Amino acid sequence: MLDDIVALKKEISTYTVTNLEELETFRLEFLSRNGRVQSMFKNLGSVPKEDRAAVGKGMNEVKQLAQKRFDEAKTVLENSVSQTKSALGDLTLTAPSTPIGSLHPLTKTMDEMKQIFYRLGFTISDGPEVEDDFHNFTALNFPPNHPARDEQDTFFVRKSDDPNMMDLVLRTHTSPVQIRLMENTKPPIRSIMPGRVYRNEAVSPKSYFLFHQVEALYVDENVSVADLKETLITFVKLMYGSDVKYRLRPGFFPFTEPSLEMDIWWGSEKDGKWLEILGSGMVDPNVFDAAGVDSKKYTGFAWGMGVERIAILKYGIDDIRTFYENDIRFLEQFN
Amino acid sequence: MKVSYKWLKEFIDLPLSPANTAEKMTLIGLEEEDTFEYGSNLEGVIVGEVLEVTQHPNADRLQLCQVNLGNETVQIVCGAKNVAAGQKVPVATVGTTLPIKLDDGSLITLRKAKLRGEVSNGMICAEDELGLGTDHSGIMVLDSELEVGTPINQIFELNTDTIIDIAITPNRPDATCHLGVARDLSAALNLELKKPEIPSSSKVVQSSADISIEIESPEKCHRYVGKMIRNVEIKESPSWLKNRLMALGMRPVNNVVDVTNYVMHELGQPLHAFDYDEINSKKIIVRDFEEEIEFETLDHIKRKCSPGTLFICDGSGPVAIAGVMGGLHSEVSDSTTNILLESAYFDPGSIRKTAKAQTLQTDASYRFERGIDPNLQAIAAERAAALIAEVSGGELNDEIIDVHPVKTEPIELTLTKTYLNRLLGTKLSIDEALEIVDGLELEVLSKDEEKVTFSIPTFRPDLVREVDLIEEVGRLYDYNKIEAPNHGIFVSTEKFSEWELLISSIKKASVELGFREIYSNSLISEKEAEQFGSLDSMVGTLNPLTKDMTTLRPSLLHGFLKASAYNFNRQASGVRFFEIGNVFEQSKDFSYHEGIKEQTHVLFGLSGLKSIEHWTSKPVSYSVFDLKALVNGFFTKLGLISGISSVLDEDVLSYKFGDVEIGTLGFVSTDLKKKYGLEAETFVAEFSVNVLMAALEKVPEKEFKPIPKFPAFEFDFAVIVESAISAGELMEVIESKAGKTLQSIEIFDVFEGESIGSGNKSIAFRLHFIDPNKTLNIKEVEPIINRVVKTLEKQFSAELRG
Repeated sequence: MLDDIVALKKEISTYTVTNLEELETFRLEFLSRNGRVQSMFKNLGSVPKEDRAAVGKGMNEVKQLAQKRFDEAKTVLENSVSQTKSALGDLTLTAPSTPIGSLHPLTKTMDEMKQIFYRLGFTISDGPEVEDDFHNFTALNFPPNHPARDEQDTFFVRKSDDPNMMDLVLRTHTSPVQIRLMENTKPPIRSIMPGRVYRNEAVSPKSYFLFHQVEALYVDENVSVADLKETLITFVKLMYGSDVKYRLRPGFFPFTEPSLEMDIWWGSEKDGKWLEILGSGMVDPNVFDAAGVDSKKYTGFAWGMGVERIAILKYGIDDIRTFYENDIRFLEQFN
Repeated sequence: MKVSYKWLKEFIDLPLSPANTAEKMTLIGLEEEDTFEYGSNLEGVIVGEVLEVTQHPNADRLQLCQVNLGNETVQIVCGAKNVAAGQKVPVATVGTTLPIKLDDGSLITLRKAKLRGEVSNGMICAEDELGLGTDHSGIMVLDSELEVGTPINQIFELNTDTIIDIAITPNRPDATCHLGVARDLSAALNLELKKPEIPSSSKVVQSSADISIEIESPEKCHRYVGKMIRNVEIKESPSWLKNRLMALGMRPVNNVVDVTNYVMHELGQPLHAFDYDEINSKKIIVRDFEEEIEFETLDHIKRKCSPGTLFICDGSGPVAIAGVMGGLHSEVSDSTTNILLESAYFDPGSIRKTAKAQTLQTDASYRFERGIDPNLQAIAAERAAALIAEVSGGELNDEIIDVHPVKTEPIELTLTKTYLNRLLGTKLSIDEALEIVDGLELEVLSKDEEKVTFSIPTFRPDLVREVDLIEEVGRLYDYNKIEAPNHGIFVSTEKFSEWELLISSIKKASVELGFREIYSNSLISEKEAEQFGSLDSMVGTLNPLTKDMTTLRPSLLHGFLKASAYNFNRQASGVRFFEIGNVFEQSKDFSYHEGIKEQTHVLFGLSGLKSIEHWTSKPVSYSVFDLKALVNGFFTKLGLISGISSVLDEDVLSYKFGDVEIGTLGFVSTDLKKKYGLEAETFVAEFSVNVLMAALEKVPEKEFKPIPKFPAFEFDFAVIVESAISAGELMEVIESKAGKTLQSIEIFDVFEGESIGSGNKSIAFRLHFIDPNKTLNIKEVEPIINRVVKTLEKQFSAELRG
């Protein structure tokens, strides 16, 4: 009997299995209820009592060996044969698509600016899109007959002859948030104000009746043009790369004095041109007075830029309206 | 404003090329918008001799000319009636570029061409085609003595120039003329400014025998100067005068009008020339009217002028809209012999109002609106009168009429070293600052180490405060030269606001849940808005340019539906969008401005196919439960899920945090879908971010909870209830009866069928129970289930399914 066990062990050890059918044959032959191993156990009763322990042990070893061989062969076959050779295991079949979420390119552009300003120590503030005349114009030093107050440029939401009812407009810039911030916060103030603004203009590839701006304000004792310049330069370097070519030049805004504009060189050395990217300046003392900040004690700088314009430059988009069509074929380019 | 490089050079010895001049102008605040070459050196245009003229066989109005060019004789097709054999004419040979602009702005280059079947080797030119004048009545006939083949540019002095078009900011009225621009450049480049020599009349009078001038509205007309020129001969201007104007893009008119335009571009004073003999009663009255006035201007347009419009009148009535445009009647014509020249100062606001009302911006109104020098009028009148006399043979007398009811004196301003350096971040001394602004004609009244006091010339109405002077120093110093501050970039200890953090968490969560962000219009049309409620409760715009921009969106739904339709029309199979934006309504519960509630909302929307047909599965449409699952994911991401409940409110699911409504989720109605052309089932959820913000403030700070040590006990059961009973109602009872070991409820099967009786449904629940202190077994759970089922039986006549 022990000889039979040794022979069976040898047979199992050398048995080769190369495919699933052979594996099944192996299982039927050795491991099934009527298989050869199980049959041996049935015969255990006829083994002399003194040998039973040794034979039983040998039979158990045979059973374990058969199971081990089966498992090994099965693993090998599953890993190689079954998956790569079946039709449904063909890895080159296409996979179903999975829904991909994405941020709008304007959000991406604003996020990038926020990140930069965060590094520069600025927080984020916001204000309403429906704004009163005081915050949108008067406090920002727009004279009463300034062309920007004309109906052509500004959407009015409420107009009243009652002196206690202020005219309401859709804000034409994010600068009113500066005023709100200064009204409610004691300097030092260092904040950016991103948001949606409106102009009552005809729609064309270059202009849309709403767009987005990011405004920055820094108010403290002794803030100077030198600080403004340093911050602007750091910003454009972080936004456009440290080798960006830039220049500052005088500009004009009612709410800053002096006012500066910044251009960056766009395109190749030879065929490029200067492109205006932002307007800035030192907060006009009249603005401080309107917002209740002591203009003798504090100075400050402010700057603003159009998000669409920056996104257009960054991604080479040729029509501003594309941003508001929400074509998936456009949006998915910003996955 | 167009600036001629050549003209600038009359006032300063510019050492810079036109391109460098333009760049310098930009750097001192006179921003270059465009620079272009004017005129041509006429290379390739030569003297030709017309040998023979014959009729073009295929065109009545064209002729075939055989022209001798010296080394060859060529055929040229010509349309001018005055061409004749024997003439010497200017011929632009093939390859020549002429100063004639095509529609795209480029210049014409002549090619050998066939005109109606006949070859033409060049062009016989008219005066205007060569930029030598304005005559276009026929070809230019040259002196018969000229030698054939001589280049034209050896015969005529050519009018070439570089024109720099600059943007003048509203604070710089002084720069709306060549002398003003030259002054700025002279200050920036330290060059001497050469002003033209201007004579002055010996007698300044209030009225003369020739004319009386009366200003009835001195608040609108501060000053009115008149100057007589008699016995003028109205004719074409000399070429130096025409060339200056043509280079700036103006059409020469006659010698008198051309001089007024010339002086305006030179000194910045708009002038008007009247035919003196047409002035009724020899009287000028400057006044406005209480009633509307109809008046025909030079451009032959009859204009209705609102009450308050300022007019120049003579004895019989208005002759000009002050500062904007003259009238037809007193216009200078070929028969004019005597001229009354007007040089006035009009209030900028009054002119702006009139020009805007008439939608008429003229070179004059452009300057008056910005505010010209209130002390320039007599000087400009003298300058123009002298020039008119020179070019028209007119006679001047020694009188100038100067009515000046409102005088403007120069103001005094002090610049202090401290404020200057504090604001610019520089270390300039007063002397250095003075050197920088030298050339601006700021007159120093007194100075010491700490400060300097100036008398500000009246051509700079923008300089009224110390800070305005600091800007002058800054812009002429060049901001690019200001050095970096010696302290570094600041550091902040302030964090982003909770609001900002919430907005970015919402965007992040939405993207992670597979939504694409859209940006839609916040201004929509009334027609679109009406679909979402009553217009009375919405916020509208009073003056939209088009009907598309009448109403501020009351919700984000329109934007989503529009974007979905847009994409389905472009072969998209499904959309999965989110948007964050502000919505508006009229409400007593206002946010910033009384009556107007402005809130930030977030919308999630699904429509169409979730997955397209694929070998792994059949096409699958989005279901409302996909949206519900995503919304649950959203609240989970925000850390709000445990406080969120939802109840069915008619057709929509209303979400609450505690007692406060956050928003809703539901189907887009068939009716609404139809209006947008949407076919697929569409689902949206919209929540108020402001309410979410308030909810988040109530959520305690996140704290670690130990992971359960003991396994959960799972129990399944199904009940049969009437179809009208919602799962939510059943779950509410289950939750309230199951006690605190209940961890979660899932619904794993919903069934309707004959086998359970019509009008009934079966819902199968799987409950998870967890006890943190022990492994639960059936003995502990069974009583709970019994309690739950009993209540369901009692409240809903539910029947436990076997």
